[in-house]
Parts: sequence; structure tokens; C-alpha cells
Amino acid sequence: MTELIILLGLPLIGIGANYLLRSRKAQFGISLLIAGLHLGVSFLIFSGVVHPADNEFIRFDALSRLFLLILSHVYFWVVLVSYSYLNRPTLVNEESGKRLYFMMLNLFLFANTMALISNHLGLFWVASETTTLSVAPLIYYYADEESLEAMWKYLFLVSVGIAFAFIGLLFLTLSASGTAIAGQQLLISTYTRYSVLLNPIWLKASFIFVLVGLSTKIGIAPMHPGDIDATSNAPSPIAALMSGSLRGTALIGVLRIYQIMVPTATAEFARTIMVIGGMFSLFVAFVFMFKVVNYKRMIAYSSVEHLGLITLGIGTGGIAFVGAMLHTVFNSLTKMVLFFNAGNIHRSYRSREVSSVWNVLNAMPWTGWLFLAGFFAIIAMPPFGIFFSELMIFQGLMSRPWLLAGVMFLLFFIFVGMSKTVFRMLYAAPPSDAVQAEIPAEKFDIMHFASIVLLAALVALGVGMPAQLYATVVQISKDFGIVL
Amino acid sequence: MDIFLNIQGLFPFLFILGISPLLVGLINKQKALLTGRIGAPLWQPYFDLLRLTRKETIYAVTASFVSRLAPVVAFAAVLISSLMLPIGYVKPILSFNGDIIVFAYLLGLARFFQILGAMDIGSSFEGMGAAREATFAVFAEPIYFFTLGSLAFISGHTSIYDIYHSIRLDNPTSLVFIIVSSISAFFLMMTECSRMPIDDPNTHLELTMIHEVMILDNSGIDLFLYQYSSFIKIMIYAIYEASFFNPFSMQNPWLGFSVFIVMLLLLTALIAWVETMIARFKMKSIPQYLLFATAIGILNLLIYTFVRQ
Amino acid sequence: MENVLSILFCLTLLYIVVTSRLKTYVSILRTQGILLSAIMVFPFINHLSVHILIIPITSFIVKAVIIPRFINKIVIDLDVKRIVEPSIQPFNFLLLTVASMSVMFVSAHVLSGFTPIEPIPFASAFSAIIVGIYIIIFRKKLIVHVVGFMILENGIFLFGTSVAGEMPTIVELGAMLDVFVVVFLMGITINKIRSTFTQQDVSVLGRLKD
Repeated sequence: MTELIILLGLPLIGIGANYLLRSRKAQFGISLLIAGLHLGVSFLIFSGVVHPADNEFIRFDALSRLFLLILSHVYFWVVLVSYSYLNRPTLVNEESGKRLYFMMLNLFLFANTMALISNHLGLFWVASETTTLSVAPLIYYYADEESLEAMWKYLFLVSVGIAFAFIGLLFLTLSASGTAIAGQQLLISTYTRYSVLLNPIWLKASFIFVLVGLSTKIGIAPMHPGDIDATSNAPSPIAALMSGSLRGTALIGVLRIYQIMVPTATAEFARTIMVIGGMFSLFVAFVFMFKVVNYKRMIAYSSVEHLGLITLGIGTGGIAFVGAMLHTVFNSLTKMVLFFNAGNIHRSYRSREVSSVWNVLNAMPWTGWLFLAGFFAIIAMPPFGIFFSELMIFQGLMSRPWLLAGVMFLLFFIFVGMSKTVFRMLYAAPPSDAVQAEIPAEKFDIMHFASIVLLAALVALGVGMPAQLYATVVQISKDFGIVL
Repeated sequence: MDIFLNIQGLFPFLFILGISPLLVGLINKQKALLTGRIGAPLWQPYFDLLRLTRKETIYAVTASFVSRLAPVVAFAAVLISSLMLPIGYVKPILSFNGDIIVFAYLLGLARFFQILGAMDIGSSFEGMGAAREATFAVFAEPIYFFTLGSLAFISGHTSIYDIYHSIRLDNPTSLVFIIVSSISAFFLMMTECSRMPIDDPNTHLELTMIHEVMILDNSGIDLFLYQYSSFIKIMIYAIYEASFFNPFSMQNPWLGFSVFIVMLLLLTALIAWVETMIARFKMKSIPQYLLFATAIGILNLLIYTFVRQ
Repeated sequence: MENVLSILFCLTLLYIVVTSRLKTYVSILRTQGILLSAIMVFPFINHLSVHILIIPITSFIVKAVIIPRFINKIVIDLDVKRIVEPSIQPFNFLLLTVASMSVMFVSAHVLSGFTPIEPIPFASAFSAIIVGIYIIIFRKKLIVHVVGFMILENGIFLFGTSVAGEMPTIVELGAMLDVFVVVFLMGITINKIRSTFTQQDVSVLGRLKD
């Protein structure tokens, strides 16, 4: 019970406290305290020290535990860097955004936690809709035309998408009609237990609707545009939060329906759809990686790419599934590094356009080198964790050589496209006629500290995988009927 | 041939012939009252008709025999179709299986000759009116078939008399179906009788008229026939509409008849109200409203074809 | 009786396709809200209790009172032009809608063969979902998009009530609150769009692309 109070109750208190408190320092203090406690509890739950009791609405299985840890972890770092982020010299009229900032973060934490640990699919739906609501005002932080458009698109597309997911859930209810569990609550545990009884046609329809609907949040092509706009126009910590954890929260919804389908004959269908979705996301990332003129959009497309890889891994099954689960962890770490440093670049150069950013390595050495390291991490260079998880996905794809060849091809050109942009930003000399804005000398700050710690964690987790992490991932695979 | 021996059947026919100008008078009077005028007396339509019989009939120099033929054929067709409608409990003179089709095409024939007559005169105004009439007729005809047709489909009868007598209002599902049908039937009436949201019977601005512009060059007895047949048409469609709500005549003829009269009165009030409250639609947007009425009919048919309990 | 109300619900859908006035759109939303609450109450008409009435009453308050009022308020505050500005001929739109509705009814008929669903509410609900999407696609004004979204939500709601399994009260209330807050946030966003841009239709939203 204590765990639940800390996981769900504290963020709620945090919302109220942040509403009442006007001092930003106090808001930050409370939020950081809540984030720290949340991280502690989810780490204890993850490592098996604490076993919270499951009930009708709440369940801590291996999947929830892993995603909960990802959420707490990303959230903690985001809150940690937020204070210095908010205290930076103002770019535009972001004052109004700052007032709501920590309150909405607490709401985000509450809704996301609820979505991750809920055992009732209706509750999951409500919670994930709430995450959209909490993130929308945060996207509007800069209060300019672009962020307004991004907020509108995100809010609208995701709301329609979530509505579709609700249709999917209703189809799931229909699939149970005429069986032993007809008329019962939409509990994941019940439906998983009796999944063989369910009507396959409705089950398939349910999966399609949930996948398509939640894709707007996950960022699987072709439903990705709202997500791209939102991530690229949100302030960097929020972008990191969205890429690192919100997409995962939506993914868990798809995974839950898939989990129900696993023991039935429809699992193959779900896997095919996920492979198609994953491949298409890779393809979209590949196409747009050569077109982007905005480096934050580039990172957002990289998220589409990696979520595509994860979906592909889940769809492939076997060792690729394990790889996909690890990939969610590593991807969340890397995306934080990239967005934090992209935020630094954005602040100094006052532009998101690639063409007005040059010579970052000399002008801002800390940011530049960390951004470079983050770039190497995201394209899966060996010491970083993503290399290992991608390797596992490829290993799983071995049985389908054509698919593997396609994935390799797309990834290679994504790498080419991305590196073209990144190296141009980092190394290019300023054009002779450029009116160079004076870049202030850079000091080591909390964002750099966070990036270094996260990169170190990424290497450590990749090289020496903690037994607990691996055991959890294996447990998830077992829950999804994968024999390793 | 016992349908011809049915003397009682003459009653609906006489009723329609005699009362239809009064119905129009009622509508006009109520419209006048609603707009705060005193209005013409109730009997004005009778006086108008009487006046027309005394006038000389003049034909345009370009007119051929079609102009002379058209009013007579149109009037005759409307008269024959009025023979098929039941009033209250009375079985009409003409009633046979499939008469819903004949009914529709007799009215179609009347319209056809009216259009032909209008075009025969050779004036561009009449030509324009004829073109509009033909266009909107295309959209109006499906409404009839989808409303009465789906009723026929449900009841399994194809005669107007039988269809109306199979209507039951005790079941809420069929009640809502009747209500929905009557909405589209109301649209049909407004279109076919050139009433307000579709056509403006009072205006004499040629650009906005449909029906009136077609009979601009008719006079005397021809105009009498056209006017009278348009009165009868209003009566026909009013009966068509009012009979949806009249299932009582099977048990008690007098109750049925009085309900019928009340329904007619209500209908005139409704027409007057609609004509007062709603401005005429833009010519451009008339088809979509007619299609809306058709869509309602289609909806009915869909519901009862595919999801009948 | 649910069938009757569902048919009326379908009629509102047909009408919203034909009409082009913003005011009518809002009153149709209100009508749909009333119809939906009535549909929810009806199965329990014989054993009413406070507990059962919570959801219908909330849905009535949210869908038939607050949201239409809120949208009306935005329309008045922002002085939106009262025409919806379609990007498709209304006539073609209606044809498209009737065709989609027919498909829905036929598929409801087919589906009811092997699943115990109520065909009329099912088909009406899916017609509403499709009409909502069409409105979002074929209309230019952002406020009309919100109405389209609400119609879509109403469709889902109707579908939800026609499917046997009931959600716990807390979940239903949460869903209702979410929908309300979404509409509220959208309204605020439109307000901001109004103060940032000169227009409030989709043409202003073209800055973000690759």
C-alpha cells in the first residue's frame, strides 16, 4: 500500500502543491523529491525487494516493472535538469509556460504511472488520454506560432487516435461475448487467462484499432506526424520525456493486446502487422532523414526509427523480442542525451535550423562532444547499449534474411543521412557572409552532468548487463510465450 | 369488376375535388395570421378558380397543339391519381396491387405535360422554369419511392389502400419509422407542391420561381386547370402525409375520419408555420436538402432490410 | 427503444451533413447528448437508482449542456463566421455519407449473424464515427473539427453502451472527464490561435513540415 501511495498519491499531492506554490524553487524541490521517491520505489519494485500486492485494477508484472523503471528514471533526470532549464535567459514569451511546468510534469507522472500499472484496459485508456492532456500544455511552452500548431496537431491527432484505441477496447469486449468471461470487466489478467476462448475476428479488429490509434502516440508510421511536430517544438526536457517514456507508455497498450493474442491463432496476424508497421516506420525515417532541415525534427525522426525497430523486434519474436525490450531501455537513455544537448544548441544558436548552426564543437565543447557521443550511441556504435540490443533484434531477424537485408539497408542510409546533418552542425566552418551571433562561452552545467551519467550508464548497461535487468526481460518474454 | 361498383369509393374523390381549394385557403389564411395580416377570406381560392373560368383563353403565337393539350392531360392525370387515395376508412375507386407505381407515374405524367406545355410556348422564362422543375423532380421522385416504397416493402402490400391499413402505431419502433418517413414525405410535399423552402408560390420574380414561371403565359381555362390541379396536388400529398398517422379507421370509421380531418388541419398549420419561419433555400442547395430527405428514406429501408427484428 | 433513439441519432448525423451553419452544428451536438443519455437510462427504466443514474446524468451535463455551451461561447467570443466552409460539395458529402451508412448497416447485419450485437445501435455508432471523421477531413474551420471530434466521441459512446460489458463507474467518469478536458483544451488552443494568427482554419497550420 505504501508503494501505491508513493507511486500515485505523491504525484497527486505534487499537482496540488505546485498549483498552490508560486516560488519556482519550491516547486522544483517538491517535484524533485517526488521524482526521487518515485524512482526509489520503482527501483525497489523492479529489483524485487518490494512486492506490491496486485488487485483488480493494479498489477505489477515484469512488463509493468520494466516500463515503470524507465518512466521513473527518465522523469527523474528531466525534473533534475528542468530547474536550470527554466532559469535560462528567456527566448521568447515563455513565462506563462513556466507557471504550469512542474504541475503538468506531476500530472504526467501520475497519469503515466497509472497507465503502466493498470490491469484494467479502461483505466489504461483513461490514464493514457490524461498523459496527452498533461503533455499538451507543456508543448506550448514557447508560446510561439510553431509550438501552438504543434500543440493543436498533437492534441487533435492523439485524441482521435486514442478514440480509435477505445473502439479497439470495445471490440475486445465484443470478442468475449458468448464465452465464459462475457460481461466481465476488461481486466488484462482475465483476458490473458481465457484468451483462447475469444472470438478471433473481433480480437484481430481490436488489435488493429488499438495499434493504429496508439500509433499516434507511439510514433509508428504512418500515424507519426503529430508526434514529430510535438517532440520537435517542445522544450528539450519535455521532448526527452516524450521520446524516452511517453512513447513507451503507449507501446505498453499495444503490448497488452498482443499479450492477450499470444496464445491464440491470431498471434501470427498481430506479429505480421507489427513487422509491417516497424518496417514502414524505418522507411519513413529513412526518407525524411535526407530531407530534414531542423535538427530537433531529425532526432524526432530518429525516435520513429527506433520505435519502429522495437515494433519490428516485438513482431519478429524470439530473441528479437528480448532485444526490443532492451532497446526501449537504451533508447530512452540515448534520447535524453540527444535532446538535452540539442536544447543547449538551440538556446545558444537560437534556431532549430541545421543551416544556421555550425562549428558547435569549438563554440560549445561540452555540448558538442556530448552530442557527438549521443549520436554515436543512437546509431548503435559498439560500446553503447543500443549496439547490443540492435544486434539481438538482427539475430532474431536471421530467419528472414530479406527482411534483415531491408532493415540493414534502411539503417545504413539513416546513419548516412543523420551523420551528414550532425557532422555539418558540429564541424562546418561558418559561411563567410554569415552574421555570427556571439555564442557565450560555455560552462559545465547540470545538463552536461546528466548526459555524462546517462552515457556512462548506457555503456555500463550494454557491456555488463545487470542480472536483474536481464532476468526481468526474460520474464517478460516468458509472459509473451517466447521460449529462449 | 367490383372495384367500380364501390359507390362509397366516390366519396374520397369528391372530397378531394371539393375541399382542396379550401385547404389552400386555410394555409394562406394561417400564413397571413402568422405574419400579422388579416389575409384573404378562406374561400378566396374558389373565387379565383371561378374567375378564371370566365376569362378568355389566349395562346402565344408560337404555341402548337401541345400547349392546348398539356393542361387537360395534366389535370386528367392528377384527377385519376386522386382516385387512388383512401380517406379514412373508405376504399378508393381505383385500388389494385401495384397502384403505388401507377400513382407516382400519373403524377409524373402530369408534370411531364406541364413541362412540355411550358417549353412549347417558346419563352425563355418558361424554359428556365421547366428546366428547374425537371431538375428537382429528379431528386424528388426517389423520396416518394423510398418512403412509400419502404412501407410497401415492410407491409408486403403494393396498394396504397392496403399499405395505409397495415400501419400500426402501438409498437415504438414502427412509430419512429412512421415519424421518420413522414419527415421525408413532408419534404416531398413541399417540393411537389412548390411550397416555401423549395419554391415560393407568392413571388413573381421570375428568377426565383419554379412552378409559377411555367404557367406565366397560360390564361383562362388553361390556367384554371393548372391552378386546380395544383390545389388537388396539395390535397393529394396532404392526404399522403396525414394517412401515416391514421390507423384508427379500421376499428371505428368515424373516429378514423375525424382523426384524419384533425391531421389535415395540423398539416396546414405546419405548412403555414414552415413557410413563415423558413426562408426559401438557395437554388443551389435545394438538391442537397432533397437528397437529405431521400437519405432518410434510404436509412429506413436499410434498417428494415438488414436489421429487422 | 434503443433502436428508436439510435435511428433518431442517425437522423441527426444526416442533418449535420446537409447543414452549413455553425449554430445548427452545436444544437445537433446538444441533441445527440440528450439522445445518448436517454439511451443510457432506458435499460434501467424499471429499477432506477442513484448509482445507475450517475453516468447518464454526468453525460447529460457534459455532452448536452457544458460542451455545446462552451463551443457556442467560443463561436461568439471569437466572432467566427457562422458558415462552416466546406471543402467538398454538400451534395457529394451527403452521397458519401449515405453510401458509408449503407455499408455500415450491411456490415452490422452480417456481423450480427455471428456475434450478439444490436445491429441498429452498432450501425448508428459507426456511422457517427465515420461522419465525425468526414467532418474533420472535409471542413476547414478548427472549431468545426472540434464538433467533428465530439461526434466521433458520441459514436464511440453509443457503441460502448450497445456493447454488453460495462465499465466501472470510475472509468466511465474518467473517460467523460478526459473528453471534456480535451475539448476544453482545444477551445483554449483555438483561442490562442485566434490571437496569434488572423484566421482560425486549417490554412494557418502549415508551418511545420519537412
